[in-house]
Amino acid sequence: MTSEVDKRFLEPGRHLMMGNVAMAEGALSAGLKFFGGYPITPSTEVIEHLAKRLPEIGGVCIQMEDELASINSVIGASLVGAKAMTATSGPGLSLMTETISMAANLEIPFVFCDVQRAGPGSAGPVTKPHHNDIGLVRFSGHGEFQVIAIAPMNCQELFDLTITAFNYAEIYRCPVFILSDAYLGHLHEIVKIPPKEEILKRIVKRELPEDLIKKFSFKDDVSGEYVIPKPPVMGTDYCPGLFLHMAHNYEGLPSPKLTQFMEVLVEKINSNKDKICITKKYKLEDAEIVIVGYGLPVRSCYHAVDLAREEGIKVGILRLVTIWPFPDETVKDVVKDCKAIIVPELNYTGVIAEQVERVSKLGMPIIKIPKVGEFHHPDEILKAIREVAK
Amino acid sequence: MSDIGRMVPNEKPEHPYVLVSYAGSVFGNFATRFCSGCGYGIVGQIFTRIFEDEKLNPHLFPTIIGIGCYSQILLNVHAKSQKVLSLHGRAAPVATGIKLANPKMKPIIFSGDGDCLGIGGNHFIHLCRRNLDCVIFIFNNSIYAMTGGQGAPTTLYGAQSTTTPYKMFENRIDGINLALAAGATYVARTTVAHPRTFMKYFKKALKHKGTSVIELITPCVTYFGRKNLNSLGAEYTGMKGEKMDQGLKMFDWIKRNTVRINQAKFMSEEELFNKYVIGEFRYEINKPEYSEQYAKIQEFAMKRGTE
Repeated sequence: MTSEVDKRFLEPGRHLMMGNVAMAEGALSAGLKFFGGYPITPSTEVIEHLAKRLPEIGGVCIQMEDELASINSVIGASLVGAKAMTATSGPGLSLMTETISMAANLEIPFVFCDVQRAGPGSAGPVTKPHHNDIGLVRFSGHGEFQVIAIAPMNCQELFDLTITAFNYAEIYRCPVFILSDAYLGHLHEIVKIPPKEEILKRIVKRELPEDLIKKFSFKDDVSGEYVIPKPPVMGTDYCPGLFLHMAHNYEGLPSPKLTQFMEVLVEKINSNKDKICITKKYKLEDAEIVIVGYGLPVRSCYHAVDLAREEGIKVGILRLVTIWPFPDETVKDVVKDCKAIIVPELNYTGVIAEQVERVSKLGMPIIKIPKVGEFHHPDEILKAIREVAK
Repeated sequence: MSDIGRMVPNEKPEHPYVLVSYAGSVFGNFATRFCSGCGYGIVGQIFTRIFEDEKLNPHLFPTIIGIGCYSQILLNVHAKSQKVLSLHGRAAPVATGIKLANPKMKPIIFSGDGDCLGIGGNHFIHLCRRNLDCVIFIFNNSIYAMTGGQGAPTTLYGAQSTTTPYKMFENRIDGINLALAAGATYVARTTVAHPRTFMKYFKKALKHKGTSVIELITPCVTYFGRKNLNSLGAEYTGMKGEKMDQGLKMFDWIKRNTVRINQAKFMSEEELFNKYVIGEFRYEINKPEYSEQYAKIQEFAMKRGTE
């Protein structure tokens, strides 16, 4: 048994890794036992790496016949207590949304790696980045539910935040998305692997609780809090007689109270925003111009801000590490006294810019820098900063 | 659904297997949601009976149910069995995930003709190809009954349905031939009019290591029988039929429209047109099973890592 745990982790220290491999290694460290996938550029390296690594630690990696099958096999594995994951890109995500809704409804934990690519089309610029699934992951599927989405910006974060994603999935029992993209997935960088003791301390394990009756989230009538029990495991006594993907009560029996059921699915995440949302602030103390960013474009922003500060422009960055649930309060607090907001995004619509607009003051100038299929140059962001500062 | 028990008079059920079924254990009576003349009550009862008699461990035999009329069978199956209602057509991959993540389990999949051969056809082919250790039932009533009687891939030639109001002219798919071609190792077809045979096949499938496909021909009086004549499948005889608007008429038709496999060998293709051939088509015990094969790969990979 000890050797099984040992092989799960890489040697502590510095490793040169591709982004997709770092994500796969992060998942292995977090206790991944089942991977069901289907090859799709640019996420293929994840399944290729795990096909080699998972059998070594007694896990299962299976290439299913299509994306629909791979996501369904993932929830099947999660139902019997294995930590499970799939990786795909935009077209695969579109196919999987039906099952994501079902998994969210039944509160089946799993992690979803979305290595986004420029779309639409299956043979177009598939190796170019395009953050076009940001809105889809939030508003995907039928039924209502809240998801958690994490946007790493380098390979180190792909490793670290994948572990966080697995923990979120276990604790909050909702689909957790890792929003990588084609450039980030194929980027080779140095990743520092911490010693295994440190990683083990962070991991939330799948364990059976003491209370075997309450198996699904519910609202406590007395305290008004949303209680999220541990995920049920098939093949044990802690399993409802029936997993029914419709409105159900905490025992899993059908319930006619649809409004209350939807409330639980959404509010169990939203009421824990302060624990879930990770944001990073950079030179924001006296900033008059705020850049709100996430994912890969933030790396250019850091450089642009440093250059602008040399010119004496007061500018700072609010970086969203978790995109969904959207950290309303944090953003509202940061942008309340500023002059203008710049939102560089790797898509044209500006999904996050819309969210920023929602929480900022009426009439606040919001400058979008849309870019599809290529990366923001720091000069472009600097130019926008200069124009705003005039 | 919670009111279903109240619709049935609360008389004491005399059947010993009723009380162990889900509805029986909750409501104390034999509540079902099926129309009169439906065959799924028989399936539910037989499943409960075998689950009870064979003393199957509910922890090791999860039941994965697809979407169709038979989804309501969850009221009639054994109360202790652990059930998952999967998405339409996706029961097979859910079972694959369950079996691989916990190889001790043997999933039992309930799926219908539209679920398994229509929307989930690809998953069914690959389940058989992998020879994953599981039992899959295909309930074939040759119609999409849950949505109100639309034509299915298995609808017989010349039959009427709401989406084929004149007549069905498409060629039908044969689930058994598909399973045989894809490589399932135990393949059988029977009907709900032959419950003893079904029990025999089910018990054999539970002991078999590999994919067991059992297709069951079931009657749908409400959406198939009422619209079609019982001369369907006997066109070449020039018989003048009547509407199959009662359960027994449909059972009669099913019995008449099926041919034993050893009998079918001597019949011409024209005679077998629109008929169901029943019997055991393949029983192969030596073909390697997927999860066992994967365990070998794991063993090899683990050794490779240490050296």
